Amino acid sequence: MMMSLFSPLLFVSVLCMNSFSGVQGRKWKGEGTTQNLESIVIGRCHDYIRIVNPAVGEKNCSQIWEAFKNAFINKDPCSILPKDYELFINLTFHTIPPNKSLFWENNQLLVNSFADRGRRYMSIGDTLFGFIGDFLNWCGQADSPGLDYESCPTMTECENNAVDSFWRMASTTYAKQSSGVIQVLLNGSAEGGAYPQPGFFADYEVPNLQKDKISQVVIWVVDDIEGPDRDSCGTNSVKTLENRLKTLGFDVTCTDNYKSVMFLLCLDNPDHSKCALASSAPAAQRGPISSDRGGSWNKLMFVSFAGFLFRFALVY
Amino acid sequence: MPLQQGSARARQRTVLLVGIAVLLAALVLAVVLASLLTHGRHEVSPTMLKWMDRGTTKNLQEVILGRCYNYITAQHPELGDKDCLKIWESLKDAFIYKNPCNITPEDYQPLMELGSHPIPCNKSLFWSKTGDLVHRYTKSNQNFLTLEDTLLGYMADRVSWCGDPSAPGINYESCPKRNECETNPGSVFWKMASKMFAEAACGVVQVMLNGSVEAGAFRSSSIFGSIEIFNLDPDKVTEVHIWLMQNIGGPQSESCSGQSIQRLIHILEERNFKIICEDNYRPVQLLQCVHSPDHADCRLCTNSSAIL
Repeated sequence: MMMSLFSPLLFVSVLCMNSFSGVQGRKWKGEGTTQNLESIVIGRCHDYIRIVNPAVGEKNCSQIWEAFKNAFINKDPCSILPKDYELFINLTFHTIPPNKSLFWENNQLLVNSFADRGRRYMSIGDTLFGFIGDFLNWCGQADSPGLDYESCPTMTECENNAVDSFWRMASTTYAKQSSGVIQVLLNGSAEGGAYPQPGFFADYEVPNLQKDKISQVVIWVVDDIEGPDRDSCGTNSVKTLENRLKTLGFDVTCTDNYKSVMFLLCLDNPDHSKCALASSAPAAQRGPISSDRGGSWNKLMFVSFAGFLFRFALVY
Repeated sequence: MPLQQGSARARQRTVLLVGIAVLLAALVLAVVLASLLTHGRHEVSPTMLKWMDRGTTKNLQEVILGRCYNYITAQHPELGDKDCLKIWESLKDAFIYKNPCNITPEDYQPLMELGSHPIPCNKSLFWSKTGDLVHRYTKSNQNFLTLEDTLLGYMADRVSWCGDPSAPGINYESCPKRNECETNPGSVFWKMASKMFAEAACGVVQVMLNGSVEAGAFRSSSIFGSIEIFNLDPDKVTEVHIWLMQNIGGPQSESCSGQSIQRLIHILEERNFKIICEDNYRPVQLLQCVHSPDHADCRLCTNSSAIL
């Protein structure tokens, strides 16, 4: 009697334990905090102020790490707001040189290459605050000062997670600090449209552009080398963006397949017809000079054969 | 009675005088100690050697550690077993408290062992006088690795360090230039790392040389010409591809048929390597065109046909 009651109870409790341990291991769907986050953040901070961009002057990197951490530790990882990073942003603040801002959507690696680590343009990833957070992941947990290395919430699980709120704050700041001629690089082959809405550029950067500091907005719409050409200047989402900016009072220009960026895309596809250089026409091109040990033997054989033919001709 | 009173007053006076003397002595001692401590913190020890090049990078430890973790965590997770703390310690031990003109390869041996990792075949990319261009290329094209894309090179790139026999053992003010002494911490490091990078290469290796330099694209005095080509292993490396890049708009000082290139080809052939030399290797030329898109050499075929 007792056994018959006991076994289903045992069975149910084992089931619960299993599912509980499964949930306990991975609370969220996203990747956990990047390992060695503190060393990486502090290291990047020092790297930036000493080597990448010493023009920003002295910064207190330990204080910056503390401010960064305090934005999200010991809190429910779904309750982090952009303004929680306000102290971090204040401590990492530096001006962005005029005409150097480069906004983008759906082409981060391309932008990194094109910006050339701040030398050509200063994208958000080339500012101190962007440089610190780029390609990293982080989140905390309620009632514990520790970082969660197992898992972190994704955007779909909750909007107010540590990483997305960071980039919202960073994007807002980046837009507010931009001046002169600003550049926007969009992907004309992207599925959601070159100017995605919702998106960081649409929701946090455009609304924070300062009319009195910006002289012109230059839009570049570049397709992937293999295409497709979904969006271009004056069409679809790009038209929406152009109109929106003009309504806000900005002077706007737009170029399709801006050449400089095209060349960069061609690196991975140098033999594509779009990437053929006029100066590489067959007559002008000096072919590769190759040298191998077999070469001298070939010459010898050819000369011997020619000699044989000559003698043959002489005889006959 | 009057005598007793007199001696009591004298004793009191003595005690007072002794007390004041002790207080004064303590005050003087405190002032001296304080000035010594602050003196040591804010000023360079006057006995530290003075050199002509920039000193050790500030916060060297944080930079090196951060870069190490960044490399193994964010960029190359397959190297996850590397101990960044140990790597930093071995770098520090190589030069701290030593005279920066007496550095030997043995000093760096532990660091080299801890920091080295295998390089995939066909990906090694050497370079000489093309530092800017070659690194822009490897940043955009993950198919090739320069020394500065390996862990050791990544940590040390654009960073400087040197020691000094007097405390605190690291010289943040200045470090020796090559012409002051060859066996300085930076030069010895890069020579050893280059040697190891060449030894680790396998399959087809590439080298990007500068065809717009007056002194010649290939120089025997460069690290490539004096160390790397002689440490390629003929049992592992099959071919050497030379990319001879000229600046967009010239000058066209040298091409694959040039004298110094012929010398390089000769040296490599003697070691049984197959050589292919290409003038203005196209993918890298495309990268150069990013900066000069409107130059005549960067006209795209599609553009010119449109004009016709």
